Amino acid sequence: MIKTTALSKSFQQLEVLKEIDVQVNSGEVVAILGPSGSGKSTLLRCFNGLEELTGGSMQVCGVLVDAKQSKKERTKRIRQIRLNTGMVFQQFNLYPHKTVLQNVIEALLIVKKWPKERAVEKGESLLARVGLLEKKDVYPSRLSGGQQQRVAIARALAMEPDLMLFDEPTSSLDPELVDEVLAVIKELAKDGMTMAVVTHEMQFAREVADRIIFMADGVIVEEGKPEAFFTNPETDRAKKFLKKK
Amino acid sequence: MDVVIENLPFLLRGAYYTLLITIVSMFFGSIIAVFVAVARLKGNRPIRWMARAYVSIIRGTPTLVQIIIVYYGLVDYGIKLQPLTAAYIALSISIGAYLSETLRGALQSIPKGQMEAAYASGMTPVQTMRRIIFPQAIRVAIPPAGNTFIGMLKETSLVSVITVTELLRSSQLLIAQYYVYMPFYISIAIMYWIMSTGFSFLLERLEKRLSIYV
Repeated sequence: MIKTTALSKSFQQLEVLKEIDVQVNSGEVVAILGPSGSGKSTLLRCFNGLEELTGGSMQVCGVLVDAKQSKKERTKRIRQIRLNTGMVFQQFNLYPHKTVLQNVIEALLIVKKWPKERAVEKGESLLARVGLLEKKDVYPSRLSGGQQQRVAIARALAMEPDLMLFDEPTSSLDPELVDEVLAVIKELAKDGMTMAVVTHEMQFAREVADRIIFMADGVIVEEGKPEAFFTNPETDRAKKFLKKK
Repeated sequence: MDVVIENLPFLLRGAYYTLLITIVSMFFGSIIAVFVAVARLKGNRPIRWMARAYVSIIRGTPTLVQIIIVYYGLVDYGIKLQPLTAAYIALSISIGAYLSETLRGALQSIPKGQMEAAYASGMTPVQTMRRIIFPQAIRVAIPPAGNTFIGMLKETSLVSVITVTELLRSSQLLIAQYYVYMPFYISIAIMYWIMSTGFSFLLERLEKRLSIYV
């Protein structure tokens, strides 16, 4: 589903990602861990073009994006990728001026040009799936953080993506609200959704991920099965990281 | 006071023109503001530079001078405008500069995550602007824009100097005829006040309606 080849990203002089080779297979749940500043969020945001790669190439959902392509060509391809991926943000980023249901169906109406009735039907079934159908007509500001994030997941699912990207989906939630969001993500994992999850929730990564990618200073330091990674990390960098948790 | 009541239709006609000029300039000024604000935020270097120059020149010169240039100055180049047309043009250009700054600030106040969420869902930059960013920015911009509109209503009195018979000039014409000052001036002051207050009231209602989601 994702395959990068020497993917690099720098902001001016600062090299944030250094020749990353990573792969996410279809149906796989990959957790990306690492200290802050390790580049894990940047890597995730490269996958759907919110960050532009400055070197190397990647293939996401069958679309090849190469740093050597013209800007116009890349923009076109990135859009293709975005139509097949859903993204969930740390800050939810729901549209505050739209109701819960409108948030979920916005892209169906505007991007896919679905007729209203069909979009509403789809939106309501997704809200039911995340347990928030009764909130469909309220504005996001009336919801708790956990509820907002569940709406954001429903919104991302509306486009029927092949791949879901989660950027620290529980990091700005109160501790007691974390579980309801993780439960939804676990549910998705069980249904076989391909997911890349940047997270600080070690327990969750251990339970749900098929594979752990551990990053530090813009490189992948270690990757492997969760059990092996958490009980017996190979590198000193990972040992240090896990000890602090 | 009898002279005022006797000539009320004439004064009301002046008030009508004051309102008409305000609304027309508001309308075209808003359109200019949208283009200029977007040009300043998204344009390439020469476009940004032109938009900046426009805002700087308009905000740095008196509105009265702008009105006189459009009406009298352009005659030198063979452009002879109707007074009312000149008023529309000068005031639209003027209000556009002020509104564009308000709108630019409002657009910049919308968190970047809104744009990212829209892009991530496959929306194009234009769709994102129209459906996600603008509606939110408008709400932010309404209170300061309202002040600009009310200021505009009062500034329309300036176009009396290019012989547009709006409210102020209506009173001056009557004064020249009857040789009494105060009743006419007080009357038009009251009319300006009523119109400004009405505007404020409408803007407050609009603000409330746009704030339902907060």
